[in-house]
Amino acid sequence: MTIAKLFIAGLALAGLTAAASAGTLDEITKRGELRVAVQTQGPPFSLVGAAGERTGSSVELAELMAKEMGVKITFLDFDWDGLIPALLSGKADLLVADMTPTLARAMKVAFTKPYMYTGSTVFTKADGKFKSTEDCKAKGTKIAVLLGATGEKEATKAFPDADIKSYKGGGPLLLDAVNNGQADCGVNDVSAVKGQSTAYPAGSFTIMPDMLSKEPLAFATRYDEQDLLTWMNLFLDQVSLDGRLQKNLDYWVNSDDWKKDH
Amino acid sequence: MLENFSFRTIVEYLPLFGQGLVTTVWLSVLAFAGALAIGIVLAAMNLQRGRLFRMPAKAYIDAVRATPLLAQLYFLYFGLPRLGIILPELVVGILALSLNSGAYVAEIIRAGILSIPRGQVEAGVASGMTYIQRMRLVILPQAFKVTIPPLLGQAIVLVKDSALLSLIAVAELTRAGQLLASDRFMPAEGFITIAAFYLLLYYGLKGLAALSGRWLGLAGART
Repeated sequence: MTIAKLFIAGLALAGLTAAASAGTLDEITKRGELRVAVQTQGPPFSLVGAAGERTGSSVELAELMAKEMGVKITFLDFDWDGLIPALLSGKADLLVADMTPTLARAMKVAFTKPYMYTGSTVFTKADGKFKSTEDCKAKGTKIAVLLGATGEKEATKAFPDADIKSYKGGGPLLLDAVNNGQADCGVNDVSAVKGQSTAYPAGSFTIMPDMLSKEPLAFATRYDEQDLLTWMNLFLDQVSLDGRLQKNLDYWVNSDDWKKDH
Repeated sequence: MLENFSFRTIVEYLPLFGQGLVTTVWLSVLAFAGALAIGIVLAAMNLQRGRLFRMPAKAYIDAVRATPLLAQLYFLYFGLPRLGIILPELVVGILALSLNSGAYVAEIIRAGILSIPRGQVEAGVASGMTYIQRMRLVILPQAFKVTIPPLLGQAIVLVKDSALLSLIAVAELTRAGQLLASDRFMPAEGFITIAAFYLLLYYGLKGLAALSGRWLGLAGART
């Protein structure tokens, strides 16, 4: 009898320790909610649609993750430079954005494997006097970039003599700055530039064919969430095998199909 | 808690903070000079008997005080170009701060002038002074003394408000902190450093307030 009691107590204790060392996935399951940090930088990755719904390529992939986990999803909206701090401070479980897994960022956060490739491109006002990437290299040219974005680093490298202006916010700010003449050239992720320039009259901008860089995009989580990272990598494998990832990218990134729905 | 705090990185970014500080100081000085000019004109309009002058001044002051400075800044920077007026961000920034602070300065100056006892004006009239003479010799010198402390308070507000210019790509003090936060993902280091610099500016202005009080022989300032 006493032995049986001891045995049960031991089992209970073992159960407790197991619960104490539960991983992020267990926590998410218990919470019934996946908390995802996003930025509303505009199409194609993350935007608020015409009906006020939060949507976009990254947002839909995150929703798919939550669906596969069987939990509801909560989006936390931050500025670009607030995404990583929000993740590190535990406000969010993971972050989905058009984020390049740079080595500098990977010193702080754990990235999944890349799920697509993009790159920084240069764009100018269509009827302006800057016709090529070469034109933007002139001394004193005003180049609009986003604070903390890869484009900021690429522009600094590609246009050493130019005057680099960093804006804080989403890509549409850059299009505005170039369209208004507050900057001569803009540098941002090519998918973002293509997606966001659709808000302007056709032919407002010239997007240069030559890319400044080729960059992977990945999602990020914390290094102390290895279980979640493993799961996310598996998720990306699965959706690229069953075609759901391609469908998402074709709809959002490689075409304007999303425009008629949002 | 502090073992992750990187003083080394702050030192590395000090030149950037220095440049930001210099920019913040000189643009604040220019913006405050503008605010004083706008404030004096508005206060003068507001003290007229005729509604013709009073109404527009009141309308302007209300409009500025009822809307957030950020909205005013965005209107000037992103809105005006749509109307064909394109200004460099530094100009927009200084203009926005001047136009905004000007409304508050106007109210401070008006209150200062109204605080001068009516008897002073009557004494001026009795000694046969013209309106201009009364203003120049009796009212304004006294009103000036009364308004110095609240004006310096407004100057402190303006310095803090100038942080908003970081949002339109002006490389001032707050932007330096944002850069450190976003380059190295060290928000604590970036924002604690700018807080320290703003504190320095604040004490500088407070010191100036104390000094000016002594120069002007304000009651209680001299020991």
